[in-house]
Amino acid sequence: MVIFGATGDLSGRKLLPALYNLSKQRLLPAGFAVVGAAIDDLTDDAFRKRAAEKIKTFSRTQPVDQQVLQTFLDMLFYVTVDFGKVDDFRKLARKLDELDSARHVGGNRVFYCATPPATYEAITEQLKAVGLNAGTGYHRIVIEKPFGSDLKSARELNHIVQRVFHEDSVFRIDHYLGKETVQNVMAFRFANTIFEPVWNCHFIDSVQITAAEEIGIENRGLYYDKAGALRDIVQNHALQLLALTAMEPPIAFEANAVRDEKVKVLKAIRPITDEDVAKSTVRGQYASGWVLGEHVKGYREEANVAAGSLTETFVAVHLLVDNWRWAGVPFYIRAGKRMPKRVTEIRIQFNRPPHLTFGRQAAQELDPNAITLRIQPEEGISLKFGAKVPAAGIRLRSVAMDFLYASSFLVEAPEAYERLLLDCMIGDPTLFTRADEVETAWTIIDPVEAAWRDGRPPLQMYPAGTWGPAAAAKLMEAEGREWHRP
Amino acid sequence: MAQAVNTLGALEWNGRGITIAQVLNALTEFRQRFARVQLTEDDHPHPRNCVMTLVAVAATEAEEKLAQTQCRTIAVHHPSLAIVVRDQADVKEGLIDASISAPPTVLVDESGAGTIPSPARYELVTLHVRGAAATHLAGLVDPLLVSGVPTYIWWLGTPPFGSKELRDTLQIADALVVDSARFARPYHSFLGLAETSARAHRRLGFADFQWARLDPWRESIAQFFAPVNRRAFLSGINEIGIDYRGVGRGNRIPSAVLIGWIASALGWKLQRAAGGDGGVVSAQFEAEGWRIVDVAFRSIVKPGLVEGEISAVRIKGSSGGTTFRLSIARSPDRSWRPAADIGPSEFKELHTAGDDEAGLEIAHRKAAQHREMAFQNRDSLHHTATGDPPGESVPRRPTIFVRERRNPDNSMVLLTLIDIGQADTLRHVQRIEPMDDAALLVQLLALGGRDSVYTRSLAAGVELMRAL
Repeated sequence: MVIFGATGDLSGRKLLPALYNLSKQRLLPAGFAVVGAAIDDLTDDAFRKRAAEKIKTFSRTQPVDQQVLQTFLDMLFYVTVDFGKVDDFRKLARKLDELDSARHVGGNRVFYCATPPATYEAITEQLKAVGLNAGTGYHRIVIEKPFGSDLKSARELNHIVQRVFHEDSVFRIDHYLGKETVQNVMAFRFANTIFEPVWNCHFIDSVQITAAEEIGIENRGLYYDKAGALRDIVQNHALQLLALTAMEPPIAFEANAVRDEKVKVLKAIRPITDEDVAKSTVRGQYASGWVLGEHVKGYREEANVAAGSLTETFVAVHLLVDNWRWAGVPFYIRAGKRMPKRVTEIRIQFNRPPHLTFGRQAAQELDPNAITLRIQPEEGISLKFGAKVPAAGIRLRSVAMDFLYASSFLVEAPEAYERLLLDCMIGDPTLFTRADEVETAWTIIDPVEAAWRDGRPPLQMYPAGTWGPAAAAKLMEAEGREWHRP
Repeated sequence: MAQAVNTLGALEWNGRGITIAQVLNALTEFRQRFARVQLTEDDHPHPRNCVMTLVAVAATEAEEKLAQTQCRTIAVHHPSLAIVVRDQADVKEGLIDASISAPPTVLVDESGAGTIPSPARYELVTLHVRGAAATHLAGLVDPLLVSGVPTYIWWLGTPPFGSKELRDTLQIADALVVDSARFARPYHSFLGLAETSARAHRRLGFADFQWARLDPWRESIAQFFAPVNRRAFLSGINEIGIDYRGVGRGNRIPSAVLIGWIASALGWKLQRAAGGDGGVVSAQFEAEGWRIVDVAFRSIVKPGLVEGEISAVRIKGSSGGTTFRLSIARSPDRSWRPAADIGPSEFKELHTAGDDEAGLEIAHRKAAQHREMAFQNRDSLHHTATGDPPGESVPRRPTIFVRERRNPDNSMVLLTLIDIGQADTLRHVQRIEPMDDAALLVQLLALGGRDSVYTRSLAAGVELMRAL
């Protein structure tokens, strides 16, 4: 596996610890080796030392097993590569050939682009130039989100990548799909008989998807100020969650069957027209405030952010899925930074009973049935239903029935990247996004971005540590609903 | 019934100068350990067992201890996450000290012969927050809340009604629980409570310990009108009298809420009201669109009662040619019994001079005394803390004694006298068992804080108070 950008943040925090844990579970293939490729001038030993530090800090399993770590470090190599220089890629090719002969890996190669999106084109072109995209064994490329910044750029990137690699060898990674709880959405829906019959517009009132983070943009000002929450979260993570929630049962848990169904849902999302943008979307930006008991600065005071930046750090969107199953059911998505806590969840709110048998007074504390699929943290599922309050007479209240992932199985859930890296090596793209999936998602996002560029609706400020601007609450209130408090 | 007797394997964690993220990590670790504690290979891990998050906001050490004790008492039978926040916003340096304790509960059966291991567990998080962070309670507490179960905010002292801090905090709550008997500026805070209730979001409920303490009165009144042949008396009431202890607007709150309860239930409309010297209140309500009902409060001195407590209620009227009179009085000779858990009996600062007449009087007297002393000693004074010239120093924040309006012994004996027509007087004596704060709190939370009768009574009571 070649990791481009091996000295970067993603590699240190996620990829190397994930590979170490796969090694610990003896899941890496025989002869497996990692070649770090980046602009920094490092030796193999220096790269290994750096990797060891990162693994000790970020591995999900602690303390780190020294024996496993040493074995894993012995698999690491490093080549200095300037993505603009074809000679550096030739050097890389020679190194891979060397390792091929020494470790007998049959020419199988995975190229992981843990680099900024602007480098994807150069990397793929250089790989083609030195013939690293073909030969014996498999040759796969892994590309991190964001995949393009709009439909046009996504199509161009698809075109460039597909010129070099066959679509089956392109693994577009959205790490949300590697989370156990996201995969469990499908298990929940399609491995049980009791939920699917009510999973439609006849029983469901609305769906809310929340992806909140308490952190700000940290040191990603340069990237984030150009991207914003809509591109950074909604276009990929949130729409993927929507697709998994709304899709029809695939005929099998197989890559194209699952992805075909997701694409159908994305295509069924009613485009937000120019006239609807103001009433169907809310964009906000955090001002200074208090998060987790600490005072934090506003977005515009963050490093590498323009003083008068209009980039949104919060977005709320109202979407409709125009198909037989979901006709008329609103899907509300909200995503933001500097919110009170880190939480991602999908909430399915059911209709109220058609008739209040016990009267309005008895049911005044009773909320409609709801299923909450908690993606993170406290991963699990919660079912809310009504029960009688123990006392004379009839008084109803909502109670919850919980399933908690962490405490229901006596094994720890693997990190998303462990699952995804393994799937990539196995060659299973089910949990990766396909080219048409990405492009369809951009068709939903582009009209909103276009209207926002014209200042419609205006950017709303919200204090850090709150659940977004007041307009987000009004978006729901306008239809007689309210956001669930996670 | 099984009863909790001891704790085993308590999990404890302490941190000084820490962040909420660290508290959250510690809680997560606790929960993971709990899920696997005492499990064999074949056992299923303990599920999450939490019925609510109870956030208690304390301003003093005594309040903090009271909150911790009550939360523990409640948690024995209601596994929950309790967060006790000691808010010290006026301290300059911003720090959070936190402790978590999570003792597993072991139950013994009623015979005392055997024990029952219980998966019930509560988590008690205590946060000492100093500096500006303390004024951003929502941001502190929100990350710790348990998803999917109700969140109740129990404000032990006086919530900062009308402030952004409180508004933000209520956004994360399902109910606000207060004790209006503990308000430092009872009248203004009471109005603030009503205003907050009127403007609150749909999901938010309100509960008041004081309301729960009125239960015996409400029940006795309701019982009188309960028989079918007395229902007509409800539209024949023409006079209500209430005796209470103390003077000043702050002491009229329980009486006003009780009247508010009757008036709102019967659809009466307030016509006029006036307050006089010595705690006398006179009001008129219009019933059924034409009939006048006179309401009068009078202040009495009675041993064993704290200020504001109701001593007697009299309801008179006539219906269909039959006169009726209901008189409920507290037993006259109960002695005063101070209790240890009554909370702070200490000098406390008020932000501004309050409406509490007795308190104000003391404050003014102290201020005058202070001026007099400073004047007499002006030659020996080099400076004053305020920087005022010698002899001119006036304390800007007068220190007054906050009066206790909670009776430590809330048991009572009620003597009910019923006169209907020419029949002999019916006498009925009932003993009301004492209820501690934990029991009252459970009673309030059992309704989820959404007690529409209370909010209706509160609104009507405030209308009367405003008119005085």
